Amino acid sequence: MPLKWVLHWQPNAGTTVNTQILNEVSQCVESINGVKEGRWKATLTSYKPMVREQSLTAEFPRDFFGISLPEQPNKYYFMIRGQRLVVEADSTIQTIMDKLQSYKSRVALCFEGFQYQLGDFQLRVGKVVPSHSENLRGIVMEVEYLPISSMEKARQIMEEFVDIWQEAISKRSLPGHFMHIEPNFSEYGLLDHYTPQHTAVQYATVVAQMIATQTVQATRN
Amino acid sequence: MECVVQGIIETQHVEALEILLQGLCGVHREDFRIHELCLKSGPNLGLVNSEVRLLFDLYQAEPTWTVKHVGGAMRGAGAEQISVLVRTMVESKASKNVLRLFYALGYKLDHELLRVGFAFHFQRGARITVSVSSVNKMLKLHATDGDEAVPVTPGIQLVEVTAPATPENYSEVVAAVSSFCEYLAPLLHLSKPGVSTGVVPTAAAAAASLMSDGGGTTL
Repeated sequence: MPLKWVLHWQPNAGTTVNTQILNEVSQCVESINGVKEGRWKATLTSYKPMVREQSLTAEFPRDFFGISLPEQPNKYYFMIRGQRLVVEADSTIQTIMDKLQSYKSRVALCFEGFQYQLGDFQLRVGKVVPSHSENLRGIVMEVEYLPISSMEKARQIMEEFVDIWQEAISKRSLPGHFMHIEPNFSEYGLLDHYTPQHTAVQYATVVAQMIATQTVQATRN
Repeated sequence: MECVVQGIIETQHVEALEILLQGLCGVHREDFRIHELCLKSGPNLGLVNSEVRLLFDLYQAEPTWTVKHVGGAMRGAGAEQISVLVRTMVESKASKNVLRLFYALGYKLDHELLRVGFAFHFQRGARITVSVSSVNKMLKLHATDGDEAVPVTPGIQLVEVTAPATPENYSEVVAAVSSFCEYLAPLLHLSKPGVSTGVVPTAAAAAASLMSDGGGTTL
């Protein structure tokens, strides 16, 4: 499958993300001739163990996520970040997890927005909101390069595209910038050939970064 | 959901059963060699004890893992009157590191088995699967090689008839499974799991008949 980079909006210190920024980002994609194609949605659920004795919660992973991706509607991805573990399963695994009654959802985040076509690139811009809420927590952007599946072979063209994008967005003088953090995929046993598991790892990385940033800002405030 | 019945047959009559099944189903058998790991939740995990099975078919060129959860059986007066067990069952294919995931989540290996046998998959009022297998235990952890696995019940094989069902159609599926089981009656008796009925006295004669004329005789 084509490879992609998942970027997220990093607000400047002392500022927060808002819908005005999201609108400007969407306009910016259209200004560089991105053709709007339709909506997309991904979700990330953080799970917590259901324990009989609260004092023993520490025995179980705190960073256990489940991720559903629009390009693989029949699949579901589990991740334990601390253990560098990503597992692909059928979406029925969610029913199995419900029946086991050992973990339950702590919080679910939705990534949703519009998809744009731009030559050989497919862009997805979306807001990050808790499910059943409109409380904006962040902005994500997927940059997918359709002709290539090798991370290394596409690196140069991806870097060039992101440079052009950063330049376009910087003209709008918004209080922040897009950031790309590339996880060390080999730690997860993932190879150079791109798979949906790479996407799952990127989403979990983005969410961890957002939580870290918001925690730092909350501490400062 | 699935409908299920089980029975046992002496290994010496398995070949006759295969001939009978081949004739009834009109499809070829598919061999399997499934490594089954039964995991249970650790002492402090979950509001109730839970159990999940990971199946690994070693016979496939590219083996895949399946996560399987078998839930409680349907109960009540209606369920008691039917000869087939109806229970919830959910399966999901998964990548090879799924065992590591369940260990990390706090599940522990309770026991493991190696099921070796064959199955017929066919449509007959429902999507029915008949599997015939010998169940083996492993002498060493995860040792699935021939020498390291020994039969749990030497000389006896397990026959299982299953069919997927939904809350809307299970009564038709139960009828389809029950009616199919009648064809096997001379060789083995099938009943709800846990209700042991042993081997049937007519098995030797029925097997001899099947083997002598290639299954042409009406039983």
